[in-house]
Amino acid sequence: MALIAVISGAAVCAALLNLDLDATNKFTREFRVFGANVVVSAPQTGDAAGTMDVGEIERIEQLRSPQIVGIAPYLYLSAEAQAGENKAAVIVTGTWFDAAQQMNSSWKVDGNWVSGRENRTDCMVGEQVAARLGLVPSHSVKVQYAGREAVLRVVGVITAGSSEDSQIFIALPLAQELGGLGARASLVQISVRGSAPEVENVIGRLTLALPGLQVRPLHQLAEAEGRLLERIRGLLFATVVLILALTSLGVLAAMAGLALERRGDVGLMKALGGSVQKIMRFFMAEATVIGFVGGTIGFAIGMLLSQWIGQRVFSVSITPHLIVLPATLALMVLVSLAGALPLRLLGRVRPSEILRGE
Amino acid sequence: MMAALVQVEDISKTYAGLRALDSVSFEVLAGEWIAIMGPSGSGKTTLINILGGLDRPTGGCAIVDSVDVGTLGERELTRYRAEKIGFVFQQFHLVPYLSALENVMLAQYFHSIADEAEAAEALKRVGLSERLNHLPSQLSGGEQQRVALARALINHPKIILADEPTGNLDEANERIVLELLQELHQAGHTILLVTHSAEIGRMADRRIELAHGRLMQIVANVT
Repeated sequence: MALIAVISGAAVCAALLNLDLDATNKFTREFRVFGANVVVSAPQTGDAAGTMDVGEIERIEQLRSPQIVGIAPYLYLSAEAQAGENKAAVIVTGTWFDAAQQMNSSWKVDGNWVSGRENRTDCMVGEQVAARLGLVPSHSVKVQYAGREAVLRVVGVITAGSSEDSQIFIALPLAQELGGLGARASLVQISVRGSAPEVENVIGRLTLALPGLQVRPLHQLAEAEGRLLERIRGLLFATVVLILALTSLGVLAAMAGLALERRGDVGLMKALGGSVQKIMRFFMAEATVIGFVGGTIGFAIGMLLSQWIGQRVFSVSITPHLIVLPATLALMVLVSLAGALPLRLLGRVRPSEILRGE
Repeated sequence: MMAALVQVEDISKTYAGLRALDSVSFEVLAGEWIAIMGPSGSGKTTLINILGGLDRPTGGCAIVDSVDVGTLGERELTRYRAEKIGFVFQQFHLVPYLSALENVMLAQYFHSIADEAEAAEALKRVGLSERLNHLPSQLSGGEQQRVALARALINHPKIILADEPTGNLDEANERIVLELLQELHQAGHTILLVTHSAEIGRMADRRIELAHGRLMQIVANVT
């Protein structure tokens, strides 16, 4: 019974500790499907938003580290769009579609993404633009800006649940031609993986490397991520504490039952000259073995459990962390030793009574 | 004259008003085999328990190897049992989840430190070299009692206290255990053995006969 209690406790503790270790890494990676969390832009010039040279994007690319998982430039033009008789003022956004797709995998797309950074024939439209202009994939739309125009085929309709739903997305070089701006962009969105301090660290490095540009976090998203992460980790920690308490009670109950069963053995051991200390050491050694064996089996089950929880609850794949093994073993041995303490009560057993069968 | 290893002087034991032992006195020399006999309730086991430090007398004193057992504290009694006494019980009293070897090593552990080779040698001496790793449930009654004998002898006790050691054995196993006890006696061990059997009683050097807690007679057997 004690072994079963320890195995169950160890399995849940190991699973949750493993989830906790992987939480920051995996969950922040998952958060990145909701888009960028850092923006680099030129400072405002007068009333108009400034633009930055594409050369700056290359410098950002050179600063790419494992934590920077996506870089996408955006050029915004306040243009006019026409499809048949329907006309509307829209924001035309030039970007690198491959990077935008990678950083915004939460967007729903009816149709396809535009392929190729230099594509000058296709575009994607936000769902509100599509509704206003009556567009579906394969329709054509004419975009006009400052006397320049381009007729593009709609290959996909985007549902982002945000301002992107009212935009038309075209390739960055085409937007630059329409805007007559040369190789410039309004801003660069960067997706940085990691905890809040890690993101702050990347922002610091970018700020140092890009003098004259503004590097800022998308606070709303970053803070919400941080809060959610903190809550998840807090929940995991509280659950581990609760499971440890329940496991201790389980082991305590099992050991108390065992103590009653072992009353006869303790009486015999005392008759053979066993001191209470040596008899306790004997049972403590047994409790340690129970903790060790139960902890090891529980760890293996816990790793499978953390995989299952990761997939079913958080939809992420959880990596087993070997550091969880010594932590689980230490916790389970401690719990087992604590659970074995009631066996001290057996010190009062009188051997002559036990041997008489009382 | 050889000094007595055991001196029992006017010893009494009362349980809840019932007198289990009443002013019993005798001496045992080192190397003697004493049979303690008498009907059920005559105080045989009580006497053995007092000499083994499992019970305390309510009157008189029991001196074993110059130690007055009745005056010892709990810790001293524990050491006394570990160092001076080897118990053999009618019910064998082996720890059921330990192997034969581990049961013998347990007594070593309580005495000082466990020595597997020495424990295995002790089991070999009682003819159990092939049964070292068997659990008590995998051994016959006679084999279990031989494990108990090996356990009793492993710490080289001053006295072997055997409470009806053949009471639960068939004839063949009884013979094996008695032969082992005879060998121990011939090797110089002091044995106090409780028995109902007149035949076993006659194997001893002397018989101490009790009735209603009183010493009725001490009979020296003629060999």
